[in-house]
Amino acid sequence: MLAKILALSIFIIMFALIISEKFERHFITLGCGLATIVLVFGVSMRSMSAFLETLNVRNIFTVGFWYETASSSESSSGINWATILFLAGMMIMVEGMALAGFFRWLCMTIAKAVHYKVIPIFLTFMVMSFVLAMFIDSITVILFLAAVTVELAQLLKFNPIPMILSEIFCANLGGSATMCGDPPNIIIGTSLGYTFTDFVTNTGLMAILSLVVVVVFFYFCYRKQLSHPAEHADELAAKLSPKSAITNKRAFIISCIIFVCAISMLITHAKTGLTVAFIGVFIALVTLLTAGKSIGTILKRVDYKTLLFFIGLFVVVGGLEQTGILELIAMFIGKISGGNMYLMIAIIIWISAIASAFVDNIPFAATMIPVIKTLSATTGADLSVLAWTLAIGTDIGGSATPIGASANVVGTSIAAREGHPISWKKYCMASVPATIIVILISMVCIYLRYL
Amino acid sequence: MSKQLIISLGREFGSGGHVVAKLLAEHYQIPLYDHNLLKDIASEHHVDAEDLKKYDEHPRNLLLSRTVNGFSNSPEENVAHMQFDFLRKLSAKGESFVIVGRCAETILKDNPNMISIFVLGDMEQKIARTMECNNISREAAIKMIEHHNKTRKHYHNHYCETKWGDSRNYELSINSSRIGIRETANIVAQYIDTRRNISEPDNMLRG
Repeated sequence: MLAKILALSIFIIMFALIISEKFERHFITLGCGLATIVLVFGVSMRSMSAFLETLNVRNIFTVGFWYETASSSESSSGINWATILFLAGMMIMVEGMALAGFFRWLCMTIAKAVHYKVIPIFLTFMVMSFVLAMFIDSITVILFLAAVTVELAQLLKFNPIPMILSEIFCANLGGSATMCGDPPNIIIGTSLGYTFTDFVTNTGLMAILSLVVVVVFFYFCYRKQLSHPAEHADELAAKLSPKSAITNKRAFIISCIIFVCAISMLITHAKTGLTVAFIGVFIALVTLLTAGKSIGTILKRVDYKTLLFFIGLFVVVGGLEQTGILELIAMFIGKISGGNMYLMIAIIIWISAIASAFVDNIPFAATMIPVIKTLSATTGADLSVLAWTLAIGTDIGGSATPIGASANVVGTSIAAREGHPISWKKYCMASVPATIIVILISMVCIYLRYL
Repeated sequence: MSKQLIISLGREFGSGGHVVAKLLAEHYQIPLYDHNLLKDIASEHHVDAEDLKKYDEHPRNLLLSRTVNGFSNSPEENVAHMQFDFLRKLSAKGESFVIVGRCAETILKDNPNMISIFVLGDMEQKIARTMECNNISREAAIKMIEHHNKTRKHYHNHYCETKWGDSRNYELSINSSRIGIRETANIVAQYIDTRRNISEPDNMLRG
């Protein structure tokens, strides 16, 4: 009982400290992780096995961690090293691409292709945001898209806010479509043994269907604010030449090849048996080996803080799992729903969405995975259906508010720094209805397809 | 003005600090920046200053804001940083000006030509002045003073390591209630002249 109380207290303190922003979030999770090891596993449980299971280091030295013959999953308990290695690998690849000017080049190429007309830019940037976020973390996608949008807005004299808000929403939506699009999906995929294809054919279809509806929705929401005729397209073409975005032609070509390789490896990983951990490490090594003199710059730019944040977080959630608290939550959901799958899905999707709109969706998803696992084991519910429900709920819920997902914070901040502050009211006006629409579409899809 | 002069003036609400700043700007014939700073920032970014004004000198809402890799969704925080950057730019360009509030004493502390002043006042005098200036009751004036001072304090202490109004943070802290606003401005000007004179290397040796 003491272990349960301690684990839960540490978890609540961790969340409160993350919200307070008194310290950097990786210090918080690492500190709370250390407290979990000492107080929960050491003082209270006196369990070496719980400690070792949570550290989960032994798993890295097994063949199955790098190459799997049948669909097997990483132990969901403790630090999910596959997620950490995959994220690190993708971060290194993305930094290489950014350094070569890939993202800016892509934005400029699309803007040029639609002849710098505002509404076509608005529509194509939404789709581009969705597609890029399927493979690359949404923070990077928005970092570049929002910056180019502000630049275009200054030249074409339109209000960038509607475009940035739509791009943010579509980036979060795109992230939900694949296993590598959003951190909760990577954690769900690696913990429960689902492949890239599993995600694309399940959450991916829901996301694409939602994208069509959302593009139409945002078009009708913002068309009046954006219906401004573009002038002097020729002058703009000179100022915004896509070629000028490329900083190093050789690095640009190499980064494009690596990106295509990464996508191909991810799409085929169920067939080849290569795990996401392998793909992450492979992509990172290739990027670094081909980076030449830029290797130092790329390594410096990697977001180590996020990786450390994940490690600490997994330990704290491991504490909750080892003490059996998450089983209690699972049993509670099972009891409320009375084994009714319709109700169970509605509870998971809406609670995940509402929670993710206000708190970081990564700790939430990490906490919920053992919950749905227990729920499936105790009620006989199909685990994959619960997994898709959880993924959509956490990924999409974050779109509703300016603090729901990292991409929202980055996008609104870039807009504000250029003189376009975005209040909660302005943000939520279109994003809350759009979130509700997507959650409803996904819920109906889940009901019709799986039940 | 040959040598750069930046006067950073912090103030308690109702102390008349803003009037002191205005008198100093007139005396030294240099521009006065307060909320009008946003006008220059807005024109630089081709946006409407009114859109920025509502977030001026306000602390961020802790529960409604989040920071990711140095990016914050808080409009208040972003507007504050825009002003800080603008002030740093003016300072680096060697321009002289008076700046009211906006954490300038901390933001520009590396510039030796910046002189930091804090104007405070006795509560009774602040109430009387607020009642007169805003034509409101005593209760409303007390509420107004408390509200504005609380907001300024939170705003300042969020961005600065030192505390708002703490005399160790300023070169000169002066109570305007004791000698009146105009005389306060005179004393401050005397201090500024002495300080500028003494900052000259030759004069320092002589002193």
